[in-house]
This record gives sequence, C-alpha cells and structure tokens, in this order.
Amino acid sequence: MNFKDQREKFRSKAISAKEAVKEAMQKIKNDNLNIFINDFETQALKQADYIDNNFEKFKNTPLSGVPIAHKDIFCTNGLKTTCGSKMLENFVPPYDSTVIKNCNEAGSIMVAKTNMDEFAMGSSNETSYFGAVSNPWNSDLVPGGSSGGAAACVAADITSISTGTDTGGSIRQPAALCGVTGLKPTYGLVSRWGMIAFCSSMDQAGPFSRDAFGCAALLDAMASYDEKDSTCSKRIEKNFESLLTENFGSLKIGVIKNIDSLGINTDVMQSYETSKSVLTGLGHKLKEVDFSELSSGICSYYVIAPAECSSNLSRFDGVKYGYRASNQKDISNLYMETRSEGFGDEVKKRILIGTHVLSAGFYDAYYLQAQKVRRMIKNKFESIFKDVDLIFMPTTLDQAFEKNRKDSDPNRMYKEDLLTIPANLAGLPAISFPNGFKNSLPVGGQFVGNYFSEDLLLATTHKIQEVTDWHKMTP
Amino acid sequence: MDKIELKNLLFLARINADEKEHPEIIKKLQNTFNLIDEMQDLDLSDLEPLNNPLELNNVSRKDENNNRNKKKEFLDNSPESDDDYFTVPKIIE
Repeated sequence: MNFKDQREKFRSKAISAKEAVKEAMQKIKNDNLNIFINDFETQALKQADYIDNNFEKFKNTPLSGVPIAHKDIFCTNGLKTTCGSKMLENFVPPYDSTVIKNCNEAGSIMVAKTNMDEFAMGSSNETSYFGAVSNPWNSDLVPGGSSGGAAACVAADITSISTGTDTGGSIRQPAALCGVTGLKPTYGLVSRWGMIAFCSSMDQAGPFSRDAFGCAALLDAMASYDEKDSTCSKRIEKNFESLLTENFGSLKIGVIKNIDSLGINTDVMQSYETSKSVLTGLGHKLKEVDFSELSSGICSYYVIAPAECSSNLSRFDGVKYGYRASNQKDISNLYMETRSEGFGDEVKKRILIGTHVLSAGFYDAYYLQAQKVRRMIKNKFESIFKDVDLIFMPTTLDQAFEKNRKDSDPNRMYKEDLLTIPANLAGLPAISFPNGFKNSLPVGGQFVGNYFSEDLLLATTHKIQEVTDWHKMTP
Repeated sequence: MDKIELKNLLFLARINADEKEHPEIIKKLQNTFNLIDEMQDLDLSDLEPLNNPLELNNVSRKDENNNRNKKKEFLDNSPESDDDYFTVPKIIE
C-alpha cells in the first residue's frame, strides 16, 4: 500500500493505528531478506494505542497513524541502536534523536529499525555486522547501501515510509537499486542530533517512500530547526506536501555533456534517455551543461569521509559505552583490542585511510587537496545553477549487482557512488526515483537542485510520477 | 606504504592486526590511494579549501539548568562501572 492510501485509511477510520501496526509486524516477522536488526512490537502497539486514543490530535499530522521503520543509525530512547556494528550491538541510548522525536510527534509509529552497512560505510549493505540484506527484486542481489534495509523495507511493501541517511549516496543509491523514491535534503535541513556520526560535514538524513508524495510528507515531519545541531539551518518553513502541486512552470533542466563516458551501463543509459523524453513531454527544456569535474568528486570524498570517520569513531574505545574486549591488562591494549574486535574490516580500512590523510606529512597532499576539490565541485554547481533550475542524471552506474562483488574489485564498489557523491560534497539536495525497468530490475534517475529547493525536486518528481508507472511496480 | 608505515598507522588509529595480515592490508590501502591519487594532477592552487558546504553560525544557549542529569543511564551503558565511575584497567602502577 502506498503512503497516501495508508494515511487516508487511518484518517477515515477505515483502519486503526493498532491494526496498521499489526499488519506491518506480521510482514516483519515473515521477512526473509534480513531487512531488520530489531523490531519493537510491544512499544509499537503501545504507541498505536496512544495515537488511536488521541485521534483528534493526530488526524491531521503529516504521518498520522502510519507505521514507519527507522534506519538503525538514529538513537531511540531505551531501545537498541546498533549502527550495524558489533561495537554497538547492545547500546541502548538514553535519548531520542531529533528525527525520531519529530516522526513520533508527526503521528508515525516505529515498528522496527532497519539493517545498514556498518556505521553507514558501504554501498551494498554487506558490511553490516548483522549480515547482508537481500534485494526484494532478486534475493541474490544487493539492495544498495548504506540504507539498504530502509529501501528494501519500502520496496517489499512492509512499511510505506522509512528513514535513511545519505553521506555519499546512501539514500539515493539503494532507492535506485530497489525501485523506490529517496531524497537527500540540503545539508542542514534535517537535524543530525542523535544520528550516529560518520562524516559530519556530509551526513544528512532523509525520507524513503514509494513516491514523491510519501517523501514530501515524511520530510515535513523530519525537517525542523534544532539548536542542538549547530549546523542545522534556520531556513524559512515550507510545507513540502502542499507544495507538491505547485506549478513551477516549464523548467530548464541541465543534462551533463558526455555523461556516457563515465562508465554507465547501457540499460541505465537507455532509461535515462527515455526519461529525458518524459521531461520534454511535460514541457521542460533540456540544456547540455559541462561538468567535466564531476568524476574528481570521488577522490575528494574518499579522503574527506575517511578523515572525518577516523575522528568521529575515535570515541569508540570500550570505556563509556559499546563493546569492550575482555581480559585486557592495560588501557592501551584495552583500546587496541576493543577497536580491533568491535569494528568490521571496511570500517577499520576507512579509519586507517583517514588517519593517514590527516597525519603530518600527508595532510597537504591529501586532506587539503581534497577540500580544494570540494570547493571546485561546489563552485561548478553554483555556476551551473545560474543557468538551469535542476540537473538530471542517472543515480547509479549499474542496476542492482551480485553479492560479494566488493571482494573482487573494491574500487568498482566505491565508483558506484560517482554520480551521487558530488551533491554531498556541495551539500545540495537530490532525489532519486524509479525511471525505468530493465532485466526485471528497477533503474533510478536523480535530480540535483539548488540549496533548499526540495519543493522543486519533489514537485517535479511528483509530476513525472503522475504520467509514469515505474514507481508503482512491485517485486 | 611499507610495513613500518603501516605499523605506525595502526598504532595511531589504535587498531591491532596480526603481522601476517599486514601485506593484505597494505594492498587494500594502496588500492584506495590509487583511486584517490587521481586528484593529484589537478592544479587547484587558486582555490580555498572547503570544509563545510554551508555557512556556519554560532549557536549559543542560555546558561540555565535543564535537568538533563542522566548519570545513571550513562553509567548503565558502560561495559564496566563502579559507583559513580567508569572502570578501566589500572593506568598507573
């Protein structure tokens, strides 16, 4: 069921919140794709009772009576938050993250926490300590990552909305590979308070749903100014759901010159070309733009993200919370063994890269140079947005791929994020939506917009989804 | 990267790895640096580094008691605690 219908059923009293939760819980129990790390039936039923008993209060909130699954990166008061890691296997936060608090207040009911790559580091959901997630369209394939569980949850029709986070494409790439819609907001639109940090200058939470409508409603709930996050923006409040039907007129949409030279596979390119005709059919104008700097983004990202990760993850030392290695006789060994046993290989690799690029002697050549590349990418976007309203491109180079591919070529896995990373470096909003179907698998396309143009991204996607059916296809 | 550099790096990051695994770790790191090094050819001398995409403003709060003392919850989350303290192996002999 899509989000709009699910919410309407609650609002019209066709179904109670409790019945909706029971339906979702049944699907969670039948899940054989390893989508979830924990479910919270008792708490969910209690919360559903509360919402049913206060129908008047919740009947017009953005997410009234709708079950939701949250990525297991958001701290939940009194409920385990693992971040996909052995390090936090038994961590029970004493507070709710702002995203959780906002979604609760908006009338949603958390039924489960979704699986993810460990500390959000991965593009296939295979680095999770709790095992890989399978793609709902084909269980031999990956769902993408790092928010693979969240995307699979919506694709498998378990909940109609879920939350994710996107540091280098971790919402948009799994959205593309699972055939759902996912939005990475402008950096600072959604509070990061209580969201376990990976790369603080790029991490941003956002919504998943089958369509732009669900994403708009969930974003209305998630976004709020929060003084507890010093990077949270004091922007003008917008109601994204009501702006979905806003007429933004004929748009000038930028398409990147020679994008086919970046190694995008033929099927993805074909879907991209078809979508371009849909855009012109809707009255938009396409304009070729030069973005030859795009592919340098990946170099910058794989310096800056590991650098910030090595700093952020230094807090995991086995003393105040999280995993502790047993029988250590001195403090130095306690740190070393705790971190060696508690982190998985991909996380350790990124900590080592980050430590290296920040160390004396390498700082200028790597970290400073990467920050200059970041400036170059941001400048380029700013110059392009003087001329066009949105940029349109494929979300990924490939469709969903086989599990275990990372072992054969890790750099190919990193390059999966080639088209998503630039928006994170610049802090821009971007939305991925299903824009084709090849080899019995979905394909994703994405719009990147100027700062705080989520209304335009959502409304443009909504218009496409009014005349196409790719977002309605189910596994 | 050689074995001595890797040992130093592992120590800085407080991560242990069996010496038998060192050649494989070096290979994996080198592989990533090969990808990253593609940016070294760019002449960006006229650009300022960018460390955050948006302009940051100072956020201050009123200096008042917000009753957020959660000492017990925080201590309960620690692998080992004693009374009001986190417990660690002896540091000073």
